[in-house]
Amino acid sequence: MRYTRSLIAGAAVITGLSGCGKFLDATKAVADPNAPTVASINQLFIGIQANIFGQQEGPAAMLICTWVQQCGGTAGRFVEQQGAYILTNDDFDTTFGSIYTAGGLLSIKDAEARADAVGDKKYKGIIEVLEAMDMLFAADNWGAVPYREATTSTQPAFDPQLQIYDDLLKLLDQAIADIGAGGTGPGDFDLIYQGNSTKWIQAAHTLKARIYLHLAEARGASQYTSARTEAGLGISTPANDFKAAHSAATSERNMWYQFQQTSFGQDLVAGAKLVTIMQAQNDPRLPEYFKKNAAGTFGGYDVATKGTVNGDPSTILGAGRNTATFAQPIITNDENLLIIAETAFRAGDIAGAATALNTVRARYGKAAIAAPTLTDIMTEKYIALFQNIESWNDIKRTCIPALKPALGRTVVPGRIPYGETELQTNTNALTDPPTLITGRNANDPTACPSA
Amino acid sequence: MRSRLCLLSFLFALAPAVASAQEATFSGKVTAEGGNALANVSVFSPELGVGSFTRDDGTYSFTIPGARVSGQMITVSARRVGYRAQSVRIALKAGATTQNFQLSANPLQLGEVVVTGAGTSTTVERLGNVRNVVATDLIQKANEPNLVQALAGKAPNVQISQSSGDPGSNSRIQIRGLRTLNGNTEPLFVVDGVPVSNYTFSTTNFNPVDAGATAGVGGQDNGGAFEGTSAPNRMIDMNSDDIENVEILKGAAAAAIYGARAANGVILITTKKGRAGSTKYQLRSSYSNDQISRKYPLQRSFSLGNNNLSALPCEDIGKSTCTRSWGPKIPAGTPTFDHASEAFDDGSVFDNTLSISGGNERTTFFLSGSAMKNQGIFVGPHNFFNRSTVRLNATHQLTSALQVGGNISYADTRGDFTQRGNNVNGLLLGLLRSPPEWDNFPYLDPNSGLHRSYRLQNPTAASAGQSRGFNNPIFSLYEELNNQQAARTFGNVTAEYHVLPWLKFNYALGADYTSDERLEGCPQECSDVAAGGRITEGNIVNYQIDNSLSGTANRTFSDNFGANLTAGLNMNSRNYRTFSDIGRGLIVPQPFSILNTLTRDPPSDYQTQVHNTAGYGQLQLDFFSQLFLTGALRRDCSTTFGKSNRCAVFPKGAAAWTFTNAYRPPGITFGKLRASYGEAGNEPQPYLTSVTFSGTNLVGGISQGTGFTPTQSGRGGLFFTFTKPAETLKPERTKEFEGGFDVGFLGDKADLSATWYASRTSDVILVTPIPPSSGYSSEAKNAGKLRNSGTELQLNLRPITNTGYSWDMSFQWATNKSRVDTLEGAQFLFTPGGFTGNVFMIGRPLGVIRGEGWVRCGISANDAVEGIDLSTVCAGKPKGALYIDDGNHNCGEPGMPCEDTENRILGDPNPKWTGNFHSSFRIGKLELSGLVDVKHGGVNWNGTKGALWSYGTHKDTENRAICTGATNAKCSGNEHAFGDADWYPGAVAGPGAGLKIPIGQNWYRNSTVACPFTGIDEPCIEDAGYVKLRELSIAYSFTQDFVQRSLGMSSIDFRVSGRNLKTWTNYTGLDPETTTAGAYDKVGGSDYFNLPLTRSVVFTVTLNR
Repeated sequence: MRYTRSLIAGAAVITGLSGCGKFLDATKAVADPNAPTVASINQLFIGIQANIFGQQEGPAAMLICTWVQQCGGTAGRFVEQQGAYILTNDDFDTTFGSIYTAGGLLSIKDAEARADAVGDKKYKGIIEVLEAMDMLFAADNWGAVPYREATTSTQPAFDPQLQIYDDLLKLLDQAIADIGAGGTGPGDFDLIYQGNSTKWIQAAHTLKARIYLHLAEARGASQYTSARTEAGLGISTPANDFKAAHSAATSERNMWYQFQQTSFGQDLVAGAKLVTIMQAQNDPRLPEYFKKNAAGTFGGYDVATKGTVNGDPSTILGAGRNTATFAQPIITNDENLLIIAETAFRAGDIAGAATALNTVRARYGKAAIAAPTLTDIMTEKYIALFQNIESWNDIKRTCIPALKPALGRTVVPGRIPYGETELQTNTNALTDPPTLITGRNANDPTACPSA
Repeated sequence: MRSRLCLLSFLFALAPAVASAQEATFSGKVTAEGGNALANVSVFSPELGVGSFTRDDGTYSFTIPGARVSGQMITVSARRVGYRAQSVRIALKAGATTQNFQLSANPLQLGEVVVTGAGTSTTVERLGNVRNVVATDLIQKANEPNLVQALAGKAPNVQISQSSGDPGSNSRIQIRGLRTLNGNTEPLFVVDGVPVSNYTFSTTNFNPVDAGATAGVGGQDNGGAFEGTSAPNRMIDMNSDDIENVEILKGAAAAAIYGARAANGVILITTKKGRAGSTKYQLRSSYSNDQISRKYPLQRSFSLGNNNLSALPCEDIGKSTCTRSWGPKIPAGTPTFDHASEAFDDGSVFDNTLSISGGNERTTFFLSGSAMKNQGIFVGPHNFFNRSTVRLNATHQLTSALQVGGNISYADTRGDFTQRGNNVNGLLLGLLRSPPEWDNFPYLDPNSGLHRSYRLQNPTAASAGQSRGFNNPIFSLYEELNNQQAARTFGNVTAEYHVLPWLKFNYALGADYTSDERLEGCPQECSDVAAGGRITEGNIVNYQIDNSLSGTANRTFSDNFGANLTAGLNMNSRNYRTFSDIGRGLIVPQPFSILNTLTRDPPSDYQTQVHNTAGYGQLQLDFFSQLFLTGALRRDCSTTFGKSNRCAVFPKGAAAWTFTNAYRPPGITFGKLRASYGEAGNEPQPYLTSVTFSGTNLVGGISQGTGFTPTQSGRGGLFFTFTKPAETLKPERTKEFEGGFDVGFLGDKADLSATWYASRTSDVILVTPIPPSSGYSSEAKNAGKLRNSGTELQLNLRPITNTGYSWDMSFQWATNKSRVDTLEGAQFLFTPGGFTGNVFMIGRPLGVIRGEGWVRCGISANDAVEGIDLSTVCAGKPKGALYIDDGNHNCGEPGMPCEDTENRILGDPNPKWTGNFHSSFRIGKLELSGLVDVKHGGVNWNGTKGALWSYGTHKDTENRAICTGATNAKCSGNEHAFGDADWYPGAVAGPGAGLKIPIGQNWYRNSTVACPFTGIDEPCIEDAGYVKLRELSIAYSFTQDFVQRSLGMSSIDFRVSGRNLKTWTNYTGLDPETTTAGAYDKVGGSDYFNLPLTRSVVFTVTLNR
């Protein structure tokens, strides 16, 4: 009797426990209820775009703006320090990480796989263009970086810079083919082109032209020919410009504007070089870019002398750009035309160069130049690409306009130092060149002479 | 739903069986030696699980149903704490059997049952670990509203530290050192077999933004550790009067049966139960008078200002000369104010508990209700902590084989706290910085009615809404609201089922539910981040359901061999959720409601759920009644472990040998050698293993306050979080060996217990950086290793044990040494919750303080001073000699030491040893007892002192040179030379050695000594050892006939006791027992405007009937 009872008890216990198998799989216990554990391709795609906008408008863009002397860094804090090339690897952890983490390559690869899974070629092609932009940002600024093994290995190898450029040219060809193959695409989740295939394909071609230009110093004149071909297929009208989209919500506002709202933002002012050039050309974009100083003039900060030109430096609170929702130009028809101008000039087609250059100049009410020099073209591009990190690539290649490095320095930096975390934790990491500021990337072996 | 069903299915397994006639009745009387009747003796048959307790006259009786009576031999035992248990073997037959017992005193507690957790129990001699039990009388004598604080000084290596004297403030408990770096450091609390929560949550954590922590992590325990109020630790919800005893399982070797939650030890609390017999009533009332334990030393001679110039008028907080007291000497006759005392008055605690208990042979109950009102020592209406509790414990013998029970308790706590710490809206920061000639009263300007502070002395309508710099401390006390209101219910239902005489099953379903509401209101005229007013509100809902089933088989095969096997299953679900809101800018001054604010931060909602299942077994073997071996295994599966490591196994083995049963050395009455080894774990934080996407993390920002969310242009976006899901994460694992002996000698007049232990903790979880190119920038890994070892001694002496008078003493002494062995790549990590530079550093004790020191010979690098070769200058000087500069080496003024810019280890906050001495002396019904608590060694970082030096209000600055500028040359008077017997005594070296310089504002304010700011930490490191007279009490018990005849009571006890009456210490701050982050702090030892502790005199009357 008692044994029977214990048997029944035992059996009941076992039955009871067998119902508990799901207990360790309870959704709220294994999956963080405080954050989404699933994301659709559309949500990832918005995050990827936010990350690209952050790269193009964020710390790298502001740093480069001071290095190419379109901007000046003052007031002794980090903006001035970095503007005068006082750098540590720590400073670039976040910016370097943005290539891969969060909305970087990890999200990009995941979103591409989702597009593949549903066979949406067009969506995949558009994401591939953003992958190329993300990795171009990496290769241009840091040179050799992880790419082929990135996000799939725990210790990714560093790929040579020129190999990455070649990979990206192929990736963009694939992207153009994929977009052309059709599909649903992102529609309104595309904040840049609202899913317009033509505009994406044009942007991909202008990007390719950029890459050929970046290869010209290392591989020679043939790259200009390729760049000219691609630019011919590139962004054909300002209406097709690739611009960052912003709203007035706190964390959706233009980053230059956001920075101006903080106390650090006021450390970033107009650069003497750009102000001087624009004043000499009486460029109508001056008040768009900058705000007059108290004396009613456009002044600039000169890092080479630690002095100012034309009175106190103007702030970068120009009427045209300093708004929360300003759509920051990233790849434009202006740039595409000036690529055509430069590559035509290099091919000896001065008339072709003049046509392209004067189209841009006419847009801003500036007189045509019948037989432009390379300096005319590159100076126009320097003005057009204010706040755009592509400016630095142009200067590294052409040394136009000629810059005088920061006081006490011999060269303008040619690359950005790697992030500290990557150096400390990746056993395959390459180290920075012996001094952080004199190192050069493979595509830019020669530094520009000081003006 | 499914899990709820499976919880219930355990119950159905225990369906009752029906009893029949022909019962057997046992009765008799239990007496002590000398013939006095003994009440509360448990008389029972372990085979049948049937028995009862003796009544006041020592008699007992119980009945065994006929179905179980078959003439078999059974054991009947009589046990009572403090007496040697007695057992007889009797044939069980129908009808009445009389069995009397006479018990002898048992100072060594041999034969007493020790609860060892998770349904297991054993007897003292079988125990392979050191035993630390705190009985009800010791807890009651402590008179602490907080149960955890009541454990202070009760067991070796059980370190309790109280964060402040604010009513309801938390106490931190740590057993045998830290066994983790970032994980939970508190032991597991188990009440009547069911785990309960002891969480501490500071309301400030709802507002990580203002506290300087990362946004978007609302609800996690990291934000406002250094400011806000001191929050209660939730064991404060237990009424200490409900506790029968507390068993402390120290370390992994003792606590392995609790597996993955036991690496920090386990506190097993048993509550009081009813006894068969006449119904008993007890009313215990106490009144406590509390005072500040020490007043801060402040100067009363110099006024607000700078460089000996008065700062007045001070009507703008931007005016920097209006912050510090470096102004002219206050003329004789000008009134000054006692800021050290003005914010404090007497506090009080009224505590009443009524309990009623009783029952018969089948049903017992214990019912209690209590009300405590604690008024704090700060002036104003806003510091109190009130607690009401009710508890009902009841058991019923449903059939002869099945007993069911229920135990339910409800606590309602309401408190209002005081802002503290690194906090301009806190009490002490503004109070101790107040210049002596400034009167903080009235705190509202008589003309404008606005908040006046010494930096904004005559506020007008124009300055309304402006920050006051620092709040007037009296304004903070009267106008701020820092409310906590919690309702908690916890308890269990149990069933005990004796299937066979040697086999029983126990089932317990426990629940613990807390709803904890918080509301903080800083008025419109608050300072800094709260200027304009701020509301912080939130609700914490914490609940736990625990479901356990265990079976115990107990067989004695012969006199020489017996075995006891326990096997069990456990399921545990813990849920935690916080909702909170921050509102800024009060529209009108009142009410403090989120709806009365201009803007609101994004609301926060944070929740966790943890599910555990466990299976365990323990086998205990007895050989020759002297050698006892125990082996146990527990397998824990948890949702916090990585997907590929969802379960972990924790073994234990222990041996105890009563060698005196084989050989008894002369003078030794009892001797036992014991050794044990066990492993226990510490769970990972929830969701480190979960893939998540973020909708709020920012990218692309260039400075604070900038960045893009993944959502853009109103379209919802997400991206992967920066932390890689840790799929292989395991619990942290502590392996511990413990060995020792217990001996009784000098008859039964002395016993000594010595224990040595060593533990190694591996798989310590660190969130480590990984290459961003892998797609994530950090990952939680089982990467750290650390160790602890120590010695614990306990000596009890009973020199006099006469019936009429007795004297006993106990000494406890303990050491713990810790060391960090490995930290995945890093040389050191900052400790969580450490305000100053506490670090975990390889090769060092856990939590050492790393910071800036002065340049010293043999310690600093040879090139520490520009242009000086230290080795040359230091030739012939002892190591540590202080370098004194002549002003020519870019390191400061002549005659002063230099800053060593290379950080170094400046001190160790861990004590060298801790100990206590307890004694009680009894003559008849009068008892005198005391407890002295000692902490030897260990340093504190006294940042309060550093800040007050800089502010010129510290007493040390009263002797000052008069300075008219920043340099020595601008100062005169109060001349000292560093070193030797003068200023900072000790050896000195360097070109400025021996130079006499004036010491005034040039030193305290303008050189780099003021540690909390940008200065040097070294002068703020102080020895924090102490000797505390923790308790002193005198008690008298009236049991005379008149008490019974005239008053109808069985006894009336009076007790007068003092708590923390006196502290002997070299520490110059308010109290060496302090920590800025309170229960958040892993190591303690930092002091930055922490609130003072209290000393109390307590009167207690207990009426028994």
